[in-house]
Amino acid sequence: MKSILTNRVRVKLLGGVMAAALLLSAPISTNVQAADKKPIKIGFSMALTGALAGGGKQALEGMELWRADANAKGGLLGRKVEFVYYDDQTNAKNVPGIYSKLLDVDKVDLVVSGYGTNLIGPAMPIVIDRDILFMGLFGMDNNKKWKYDKYFQILPAGPKPAEGFSHNWFEALKELGGIKTIALLAADAEFARNLKEGALANAKKAGLEIVYNKNYPPKTPDFTPIVRAVNAKKPDAFYIASYPNGSAGLVRALAEVGTKAKAVGGGMVGLQFAGLMKGLGPNLNGILNYDFYVPEPTMELYPGAKDLIARYQAKVKAENLKTDELGYYLVPWAYAYLDVLGQTVNAVGSVDDHEALAAYMHKTEFTSVVGKVKFGEFGEWTESRTIVVQYQNIKNNDIDQFSRAGTRKIMFPTDIKTGDVKPYNDLR
Amino acid sequence: MSLMRQYKFEIGCLVALVLAFTMTQMGLNRFVFFAGFAVLQYAMIATAWNILGGYAGYINFGTAGFLGIGSYTAIALINYSDASIVEQIIAGGVVAGLLGLGIGYFTLRLKGVYFAIATLALAIVVETIVNNWDFVGGAAGVSILPARNPELLGVLVVHKKLGVFSNYKEFLFFLMAALTIMSVWIARTIEKGKLGRGLNAIKDNEEAAECMGVPTLKLKLITTTISGGLMGMAGAVFPSYLTFVDPPTAFNLEFAVNSLAMPMIGGTFTWLGPILGAVLLGTVQQVAIVTISSELNLLILGLLLVIFVIAAPHGFLGWFMKKNKR
Repeated sequence: MKSILTNRVRVKLLGGVMAAALLLSAPISTNVQAADKKPIKIGFSMALTGALAGGGKQALEGMELWRADANAKGGLLGRKVEFVYYDDQTNAKNVPGIYSKLLDVDKVDLVVSGYGTNLIGPAMPIVIDRDILFMGLFGMDNNKKWKYDKYFQILPAGPKPAEGFSHNWFEALKELGGIKTIALLAADAEFARNLKEGALANAKKAGLEIVYNKNYPPKTPDFTPIVRAVNAKKPDAFYIASYPNGSAGLVRALAEVGTKAKAVGGGMVGLQFAGLMKGLGPNLNGILNYDFYVPEPTMELYPGAKDLIARYQAKVKAENLKTDELGYYLVPWAYAYLDVLGQTVNAVGSVDDHEALAAYMHKTEFTSVVGKVKFGEFGEWTESRTIVVQYQNIKNNDIDQFSRAGTRKIMFPTDIKTGDVKPYNDLR
Repeated sequence: MSLMRQYKFEIGCLVALVLAFTMTQMGLNRFVFFAGFAVLQYAMIATAWNILGGYAGYINFGTAGFLGIGSYTAIALINYSDASIVEQIIAGGVVAGLLGLGIGYFTLRLKGVYFAIATLALAIVVETIVNNWDFVGGAAGVSILPARNPELLGVLVVHKKLGVFSNYKEFLFFLMAALTIMSVWIARTIEKGKLGRGLNAIKDNEEAAECMGVPTLKLKLITTTISGGLMGMAGAVFPSYLTFVDPPTAFNLEFAVNSLAMPMIGGTFTWLGPILGAVLLGTVQQVAIVTISSELNLLILGLLLVIFVIAAPHGFLGWFMKKNKR
């Protein structure tokens, strides 16, 4: 080795590599504004590629709409708002590094989370370590372990999110009558398992007999054996907690194999995405699932949401954006979590005093495009506002039908109900 | 003077360690330590891979399995007894080393592509076991909040004012630097010693080496144990760095691809190759994540690998030396 790799060569090599490394690792220059006042920078990671990109992209557009509105009103504290964000690739491994870059290199003033429980989790220890305010978007019980007093999140699942999420689904079941047994199925991942644990507690409270309770690996390609195994137990209701890929696979497997369960669905993430609704079309008929906002006439408790979604849809069309065409699922919520943060900053008059910001958030009831928002002790909502919808009257794969009332009728809560719950097979 | 010449590599290692420690005391931007940790971890994994893949010519696709077993041993210890990070590293290394020994015993009679497939299967088997092991979080993953002010042998290691390191990331960076330096020292010692010569003979022609009296199975078993153990140690630090670990993260195929690509790009025939590859590729990837900001960084890796395999089959080091000879 010595004869072929001389010291001179080694020194040259190491020197070259170190120089290249230093050059590459130098901070990338960000936009420098010549404005009089320094802009307020809000940093976050977002799933723009990978499994949750469908949600991440529409969330980002919702956030951009809020930024445009905030800046049109003069910004926060008279300062323009800027975003600094990176694609986390729906990979938890990338999240700690991104938040460190945001806080230490980009020197953002505030950080908010990306979309989803699994991607909020890895950022929690970093914000706790810095003792700063952290807004989450659609996190399920992320603060259960930490009990961090500066964490707040937008997911209308109530103070006990795991149970609150499915509470209304079990209420809607009562309308069907004769439900005595239930099968529970979840993707083997944090959010879905939490959801199933909550459903299990609600099922026990309702006095239902659990005939099937299993998890499936998130990468399962074929769900027909699972549906057959569930059918063998002859459940009256079939509660599913799944991610977008699994939701699509399960709907297709149910269409292929069939089931005698009267109620199917519950916590199926992704069925609210325009792409999946369009692709699954009439296969969705009969599914009884959670949702947060649907274009039904009674959804007036979210006064600004209708206009916001119309603006979003117009923007997607005008700019030919490669994102969700409808935006019902995430846009109002992504707008609201920044709106709540913006209202807090303006009221407190600071972006640096995180104690005061958190204290204000704890004591205030906010009004935003998603209606009234009040946070509990550990940042979850004080009330559950999950709605239960049933897919009905879907004739084909035309996307426009999903933006009209009547395809996702509200079954619960009763005060905004727009239809009656029907047995799954009656709608097939 | 002659003593210094004799131990100049060891002195170099000490200097590197002191340099890493000095960096942690300079109050540098914390992101430097985040990115530095990732690059150093890759340097350690690539060095460990190269001991078996580069010196003996046995291509191991199961890096993620060894790394994951190290991570989950650490998590199990944290959940069971709140073990310190040093205990986690030792346990991670021992368990992954024993796994390496066992796997070596069962698969080293396989060669070439069959051995590679067997190691890939190992990663899948281990991931499936972890997916169904609720004590370590199962498929849902687990959050770890490292002790804010840990002590080692009565010394306050991390504390804003009174600790050796002012924050946990600096401590982890130093720890990873120390582990990487140790791995490089082990790799070089193997390369220069009897074991390295034996492995080179196996790489060139295993039957001929056997006929010449090289105890091939014994050497290969020692190598799989050391290689697996080092990967396990690198994995054991991972939960404390990430603070949230789930099986898709710990057993990510990206580790297997990187651990193979880095020595290939740097050069597999010497200890310096994996280091060069890891620094080059690791830095490019860290920059790509926060600039190109998409899964494109894996595309960069693939393209670089294709370019190097075609244009410089002996890696950057081979190409550089060839050019220097002219």
